[in-house]
Amino acid sequence: MNCKDCQESISAFLDCDLDEPSSSAVREHLALCTGCAKLCEDFAAIVDSCRVDSPAEIIPPNAQALWCRINNIIESEIKPPPAPQPPPGSFVRRWNFTLPQTIAGLAGVAVISSLLTIVGIRNYFEPSGDDFTSRSASTQTTFEKVMSKVGLVDTPQQSRERRYKEQEAAIDYWNKRVQARKSQWDNKMRDAFDRNINEIDQTVTEYNMILQKDPQDDLSGEMLDSALTDKMNLLREFADL
Amino acid sequence: MLSVVFFFAPDPAFAQRRFSKNYPAANDVRLQLLNRSGTVTVEGWNRPEVNVSAYLEAPAAVIAPQMIGGTIYINLVKDNEGRTAGNVNFTIRVPYASSVDIETRMGNLTVSNVRGGLVRAHISSEGDITLTNIDASAVSAQNGIGNIFFDGEIQRSGNYRFASLRGDINIRIPMNSSFRLVATAPSTRNISLGPFATPEMLSLADGRRVVGRFGDGSSSVTVTNQRGGISFLRR
Repeated sequence: MNCKDCQESISAFLDCDLDEPSSSAVREHLALCTGCAKLCEDFAAIVDSCRVDSPAEIIPPNAQALWCRINNIIESEIKPPPAPQPPPGSFVRRWNFTLPQTIAGLAGVAVISSLLTIVGIRNYFEPSGDDFTSRSASTQTTFEKVMSKVGLVDTPQQSRERRYKEQEAAIDYWNKRVQARKSQWDNKMRDAFDRNINEIDQTVTEYNMILQKDPQDDLSGEMLDSALTDKMNLLREFADL
Repeated sequence: MLSVVFFFAPDPAFAQRRFSKNYPAANDVRLQLLNRSGTVTVEGWNRPEVNVSAYLEAPAAVIAPQMIGGTIYINLVKDNEGRTAGNVNFTIRVPYASSVDIETRMGNLTVSNVRGGLVRAHISSEGDITLTNIDASAVSAQNGIGNIFFDGEIQRSGNYRFASLRGDINIRIPMNSSFRLVATAPSTRNISLGPFATPEMLSLADGRRVVGRFGDGSSSVTVTNQRGGISFLRR
């Protein structure tokens, strides 16, 4: 008997399943071959331990937890299936508007872009605060005249009136503050203040009369603006006293 | 006899106190003064210091000058806020090259012999402004009711502005000046250019405004008198 035949028969030999001549042959080979003898000893030890140990010692303390861990490891090693790719043409279907929706959208874009253009042009052509009162219809550009006719840009007269309203509001504010403190001034100060206010008021009245007769008189408009600014400054400066 | 003594005794209501203080200063020091009422006289002198002296009428105002970063600040409006104060009459001497920015609510302002970068004189209500022997690149004089007189140089690329509500504005400058002019006297239409009247000066708006150029027009002169006249004189 050679080693290969011996090793194939070891398991049956240990279980006493071989006939006598085969068992004798295995026994003789094991006596001569240390390798197969060692292998037979290992098999015998395994078989012995299986026969001796109780099941409680073989099963882990928490078999269910062990299985859960094993299950988790297996699941983590499994790659998730790839996300389903949208079929070609679905993007187009998402933006598939009806005809009225498309027309309404285009109209909205046109209105917004027109408004932005108008605002930009108005800001570009709007005269600065320093010189708008001196602007007249004769100094308006053709574009400004057209825009004024349409009502998108103020005429010089409208700008002037708007400016005067702002000035009057500021004058009212400072005048209230002056009236609250005026009683603390001495007579000379009060008289000087009143004389200057009266002078400015007369000037304003004169320019208003001129402008009522000739609204195109730009110099009077400019001087009226200057007089109202002087009045506002006078009130503001005396309000500190 | 007693009545004579009382007549000459000083009335406490008109008693004056005096304030005087010197400040070492660089030649290009800046003076910024805001007075409530009273006269202010500023003179240039050949010393590297500023002398501030003032007569205070009763009830005496509080004066607290401050020197911060090359500027002397005197603000009587702020220092006397909420209290009654009498006139304060200032005489201030500054180095020739100083910049002067003075303002008062009421009273005359006088500046002379200053050739710094800026001369500004502003009267909120009544008072005359007199600027003599001024050589500054920026000059601004504005008052309510009162006269304005300027006697000085017009520097190249300078900016000069004079504005009054009612009074006379007289400007005395050398013939070698060069400037662009906008002079407006809408009520009186009395704009006298004197020797500076040239064909390049145009009368606009029925004579209420004169616009033009004298010399090469390198500087800017703007004069506005709402209810008074404007005159140019040769220096």
